[in-house]
Amino acid sequence: MAEESFLADDFLRQLMSVGEVDLLIGIPSYNNASTIGQTLQTVEDGLRQNFVRERVVILNMDGGSGDETRQIFERRSERREPNHKGLTTLRTIHRISCQYDRSPSQGLALRDIVAAADLLRARACSVISPVTTNLTPSWVANLLRPVYREGLDFVAPLYARSRFQGLLARDLLYPMSRAIFGNRIRELYCDEWGFSGRLASQCLEQDVWHEEAIRARPEAWMAVKAMAAGLKCGQYFLGPKTASAAGSGPDIVDAIRQTVGNFFWCMETNQPAWMNRPNSQPIATFGPEHELSSDGLPQSQDKTFDLFRSGVNELEPILASILAKETHAQIKAISLTDRAKFHFAGELWVKTLYEFAASYHRAVLNRDHLVQALVPLYRGRLYSFLQEHANSSPEAMEAQSEMLCQEFERQKPYLLDRWTAKT
Amino acid sequence: MKDVIIQGLSQAYSNLVHMFAEFLPRLLVMLVIVAIGLLVAYVLKTILRAVLHVTRLDRLSEEAGASRFLRMAALPSMTELLSRSLFWVTWSGFILIGISVLGVAGLQEQISRLFLLLPAIFVAILILFLGLVTANFLSRAALLAAVNAGYPSPKLLSWSIRFVIWALAVSMALEQVGVARQTVIAAFSIIFGAFMFGLAIAFGLGGRELAREFLERNLGDKKGEKYEEPQPL
Repeated sequence: MAEESFLADDFLRQLMSVGEVDLLIGIPSYNNASTIGQTLQTVEDGLRQNFVRERVVILNMDGGSGDETRQIFERRSERREPNHKGLTTLRTIHRISCQYDRSPSQGLALRDIVAAADLLRARACSVISPVTTNLTPSWVANLLRPVYREGLDFVAPLYARSRFQGLLARDLLYPMSRAIFGNRIRELYCDEWGFSGRLASQCLEQDVWHEEAIRARPEAWMAVKAMAAGLKCGQYFLGPKTASAAGSGPDIVDAIRQTVGNFFWCMETNQPAWMNRPNSQPIATFGPEHELSSDGLPQSQDKTFDLFRSGVNELEPILASILAKETHAQIKAISLTDRAKFHFAGELWVKTLYEFAASYHRAVLNRDHLVQALVPLYRGRLYSFLQEHANSSPEAMEAQSEMLCQEFERQKPYLLDRWTAKT
Repeated sequence: MKDVIIQGLSQAYSNLVHMFAEFLPRLLVMLVIVAIGLLVAYVLKTILRAVLHVTRLDRLSEEAGASRFLRMAALPSMTELLSRSLFWVTWSGFILIGISVLGVAGLQEQISRLFLLLPAIFVAILILFLGLVTANFLSRAALLAAVNAGYPSPKLLSWSIRFVIWALAVSMALEQVGVARQTVIAAFSIIFGAFMFGLAIAFGLGGRELAREFLERNLGDKKGEKYEEPQPL
């Protein structure tokens, strides 16, 4: 069995003592002592309230925390069944904590979680992040239930967002993944999600766990695997999400390296799954598909524009090796326009991204460098977006977002041309 | 008198015949060695080219930025360059062996010295190549990091890194082939020291404000006037 080679003996022994389970919850952690206790408590509440008869195991996969994350998890685990009123589980909830590596890697944590799911023959699994501070018992149930009861194989969360939050996801990752892979999963990059035992077994067979591309963000790869295998995907609206200071998320550069780098890598390694795929189809969605709140415009973004302009100027030779001549010329031209009249059109944005993807495929330069070269252009698009939607209503922004998605789908043949070009 | 002349001529003739009789087989051996060398070099070139295609060296070279420089210098791809180099080095080696078989006085010593230098030249070329690749990779990484972080003069930083690595690679390569060893070390120390000293002065005195801003931004209280972009995810 594949997992025999990498699961620690002690971890394996603990898994064997659990036997088969119906549900498995994985909590990857790294220095989350301040939140892990509450996360565990909420997960247990969610299971007790919603899965009374099911056999359950909760795994804490730790990446070598220097604080007391594991000790807190284990101490709480020793407190068996506190005084609970009302409906409660009829079975023991097993809890196992294990250190998968000395340094944190979401990819390796997920590898051990899917290996455990495969070994214990879990039917439905979920990954829950301890950095989410407003996790509720219903979240756990909502990620597991569509898998356990409705037969879905991958369930992504849907979060309520403020108008200008998560723009990388809304302006790049969602529309591009929708056009490429044909599934309308909005939050491809998320901190918590659900998946089936069947998908876990399929993922376990892949020898990708040490790839740098999935070290920080393995969840999109898992979703892409589900789409590629023709498995059923869905999404569940969970509400607004808040994270602890430690989990406030990476800055733009790291976020683009982790997500766009990972997305291009998923495209590269799953070519047969998307090259002939027709336009996107809706997926099973539980609750509203989106919810934007009308928050105010972020503070002055002049620096964002300055970084775009200087980036286009300083990285000219690099961008010339990535982009087509016309596209590069258009970007240079708009970088010279007046700040107040600046507009980075959706059509140009889509073309730019497709040319980046094709250049990533052809490895015209180091792939991490190529992804980093996208950062100034994203800043340009971000500035344009903020200017354009300073006074837009959430509905108008959503309509605009839908138009961008359609533009991505319309230009997909252009991507295929660039991707398959000989030079 | 006539007999002496005839004897001299016949002696010269017999010497010439003897010399040809000695030289021709050697020439033949040389030609055979050169021909075998040509064959061996061709076979090695073909094998190396196939191996490099399998290992996708060209893609690695593209990623590292070395191919761009090869193109700028109107050179072929990395795979082609290395396999052609192997061909010429191998064949040149056989040609030199063949020439040494001729036994021409004075040539032997020069060929021996050249043979002794060959490994050092190889190592020097390798050092230069690695230096080129490393310099391109690190300078580009520095450029991207500086541009994305919004640091001033990112190109200057990038070119500084490239220059230092090139200088290091060139001095190491020259030292390897033994060209004016002491001079090269002294020259490198002076250039490197002067460069660093110049940077320190430029940064500390000329760019006092810039230095303060840089240090405050990186080491000071980050709560100050930190530029915040909307949360991307």
